[in-house]
Amino acid sequence: MCLFASFPSVTSARHFHPVMADDATRKAVSEIPLLKTNSGPRDKELWVQRLREEYLALIKYVENNKSADNDWFRLESNKEGTRWFGKCWYIHDLLKYEFDIEFDIPVTYPATAPEVAVPELDGKTAKMYRGGKICLTDHFKPLWARNVPKFGLAHLMALGLGPWLAVEVPDLISKGLIKHREQQGS
Amino acid sequence: MAAAWEEIRRLAADFQRAQFADTVQRLSERNCIEIVAKLIEDKKLDVVYTLDGKEFITPSQISREIKDELYIHGGRLNVVDLQKIINVDLVHVEAKANEIARCDRSVQFVLGQLIDANYLDRISEEVNDKLQEAGMVNILELCKVYDLPGDFLTEELSKRLGKIIHGQMDDFNRGVLFTPTFVSRHRARIRGIFTAVTRPTPVSNVIGVYGFQEHIIYSVLEELVNTGRLKGTVVGGRQDQTVYIPDIYSKTQNTWVDSFLQQNGYLEFDALVRLGIPDPVSYIKKRFKSSKLLFLRAACVGQALVDQVEASVEEAVNSATWTDVQPILPSCLSMVDAGIIVTEAMRRTNVQASARVVRDTVVISEKFISNCLALFDEAMQNKAQKEVKNNPVFLITEDDLKQGSMMMENSAPSKKEKREAERKKKTTEGSGSKGGGGGCNAREVRIRKTKKKTRRDEDSDEETVVTPQNRNKQTEVRFMTLEEIVAVLEERVCDCPEEILSELAEQLVRPLTKTYQEVVRTVFMSSTSSSTGETRKRSVKDFQEELSNLYNNIRLFEKGTKLFSDETQVHISKHVLKTVCTDVTNILVNFMAAELMMSVENPSSITNEVRLKILGKLPEETKGPLMKVHNSLNGKAIEDFLTSIEMAVEVCGFMLKKGDKKRERQALFQHRQALTEQLKEADDPALILHLTSVLLFQASTNCMLHAPGRCVPQIIGTLMGRISEEHHRLLTGYQALVVKQLVGQSQGRKQGHGDGDNQKEGDEKDTIRKELVSLTGEVKDLVLSQKKTSGTEE
Repeated sequence: MCLFASFPSVTSARHFHPVMADDATRKAVSEIPLLKTNSGPRDKELWVQRLREEYLALIKYVENNKSADNDWFRLESNKEGTRWFGKCWYIHDLLKYEFDIEFDIPVTYPATAPEVAVPELDGKTAKMYRGGKICLTDHFKPLWARNVPKFGLAHLMALGLGPWLAVEVPDLISKGLIKHREQQGS
Repeated sequence: MAAAWEEIRRLAADFQRAQFADTVQRLSERNCIEIVAKLIEDKKLDVVYTLDGKEFITPSQISREIKDELYIHGGRLNVVDLQKIINVDLVHVEAKANEIARCDRSVQFVLGQLIDANYLDRISEEVNDKLQEAGMVNILELCKVYDLPGDFLTEELSKRLGKIIHGQMDDFNRGVLFTPTFVSRHRARIRGIFTAVTRPTPVSNVIGVYGFQEHIIYSVLEELVNTGRLKGTVVGGRQDQTVYIPDIYSKTQNTWVDSFLQQNGYLEFDALVRLGIPDPVSYIKKRFKSSKLLFLRAACVGQALVDQVEASVEEAVNSATWTDVQPILPSCLSMVDAGIIVTEAMRRTNVQASARVVRDTVVISEKFISNCLALFDEAMQNKAQKEVKNNPVFLITEDDLKQGSMMMENSAPSKKEKREAERKKKTTEGSGSKGGGGGCNAREVRIRKTKKKTRRDEDSDEETVVTPQNRNKQTEVRFMTLEEIVAVLEERVCDCPEEILSELAEQLVRPLTKTYQEVVRTVFMSSTSSSTGETRKRSVKDFQEELSNLYNNIRLFEKGTKLFSDETQVHISKHVLKTVCTDVTNILVNFMAAELMMSVENPSSITNEVRLKILGKLPEETKGPLMKVHNSLNGKAIEDFLTSIEMAVEVCGFMLKKGDKKRERQALFQHRQALTEQLKEADDPALILHLTSVLLFQASTNCMLHAPGRCVPQIIGTLMGRISEEHHRLLTGYQALVVKQLVGQSQGRKQGHGDGDNQKEGDEKDTIRKELVSLTGEVKDLVLSQKKTSGTEE
């Protein structure tokens, strides 16, 4: 359950997502191949097919990012492809801030989008559910819903986590809630 | 299913790989350029822009690339092409290329191209292939083929001679490569051909015929000649005119020349030219340095020949004869050359002064000439004597001479005219001594005179025939014409060809004329001096007598004329003046002239002009009266003449004996006697008529008459009434026949002689002639019988 549910008005104001306005994001997303198979983890054979498409889309996305000098995450999955983990980073003021990420594929996937968690930042920002799951914008859910089953994990990363990090990390750094590792160390 | 999962696993791995692949570090272009510019500025970076500005390249990379490209292009690369390939500014490329060429020994920078040793080796191999195939390679052609400078190519190829290229380079012409076989083949052929050659051969011809390489042939030929393999010489350097002259040829040539000179004693330049010696004079000079040859226009002659000529010249001079060198000299020598030899010979023998050269080759000694001159001495004396006697006046001046001679020619009558003149003269003679008076002396003089005159006429006739051309040419030459001289020489001097005689005559003409003039002068002087003196007295007496006789005759003649009518009287007077009176005048003038040594032997030959000349020379006192006499000769009246001659004779210191009756009768008798004598001998009808009528006239009137032939009818007219009618008729008939005959003759003459007279005319003439012949006797009888009667009367 979302904490923000009780404060819809505030949330809506605070959770304005820049996705729609960001041309670079839109371009990146447009270059990600769309998926075809509509099946979840329980669907055995069809899931394999879906998973294959997910990987191809991810590979493409990563390659695109690399070629555009915009590489910002590492991701891997378990054998079945149901649980995903890795890390992401954000460069601010010539400093690189790195965070671990993880998420599970919901049973209702792809109708339901997975909930990405950044455990490190749990409790440090309001735009997060308990357990460090990030609070995606209002725009994301209808967008995802409209694009089932064409959107996959790559889209999730590009339209979900990316924009969130871009908004939250600078805010958190300026608040002093997160510090650079070397500085942390010192 | 497993396969599907396997694929997933693989995809997952791919994914990981994709994520861990390097990310591209991206800088904006602008920034990059800024950064690099900054670095270059700080000299931290040494790079070169490519031409399109998109790339930087380090110098070492350039040189590496150049090397690579050079290798790829087979060892030869143009810098411009290189610049296109490397795409860097040409300056950098060139700099690098130079650097490479400098550092790397095997690479050279030639004409903006990089060339390495491999390439050159390969070329050399190609050249070698070509060389082995063709035997000869021209480096110039190679230059064209490989597009490389000749010097470079020559140098590089010569480095590889013997290693890669199996051949040799021409020592003289480094632009050609040969194989030894090629050279030896050529050498063998050249050796063969030039060994076979026996006459001078232009090398270019041989090249043309046998297709030799010009480069080789000269060096090989030279070598062969120098080593003595070929016996001959190469003349003319290395041009197109180069000629190979085999020794055998020059040897035979020389032997020919030597033997010819030895045998004939001369050399003709033309012959040498025909032998192929281009400059005979210098050749001869070189070959016969020691022997003294005499060089002429078209030949040269040896000492022996000159000696021979000398000898013959000397002999001619010494023996006072002449010699013609022509037969001694070779026939090919021109007259000019012969002349040169002769003058040379004369110079050497020192006889220029004592001999002269005629027609280039004939040498005549002066002695010979003087001998020849001597031949003429006698003839000259004779002729001079004659001349002096005849025409002293012509010696007076040259102009006179000329005029006189011209007059002679002009007056020289043609034969027919002459005959008539003679006839007239005869009548004159008769009349001159007619009458009884004591003119015996005079008559004799007259007769002798006529004889002389006729002879003289013949003489002058001859002379006029012979001399005209001579006179025109050389008026002063009066001695002999060239032809005459030649004729004389021919007679006296034996075995001389005619040309030489004529030459000799030409040589002689002038001195002869000169000496002749001398001789004439001396003869003249001596003759005049001798004629004066003792003879003079006698001659004066005779002269006076003669003068008186003639004077009296003229008076009698004058009396005779009075019996005629006026017109006839004038005619007769004129006739008398022209004949007898002129004679008298001439005698007088001549006598005067004799005092001045201008006398003529025969006074009657004095013409009007000559008389004038003589008069001009006479002293003033005698000149005036004589001039009057001379003028009166052209008048009409005999009386004028008589008066003037009386005066003149007086002035000249003579005395005229006026005729008395006795003398007159004597004169009449003598005149008649002379005429009768003539009549007896005469057979020309006209003459007979003339004489008869004159005699009849004298008989009837007792007056002497001296009338011209055309007055005969008038005489006959006056006779009418004085002689019997019968006789008169006879005379008139005879006269008519004579007239007819004369007319016929003149007509026949006009029509021409041969075909003009047709039958009828011939008949007419015949009849006239017959009648005349028949009547002649009767007519003669008229006088002759009368004479008898008159004689009996007396």
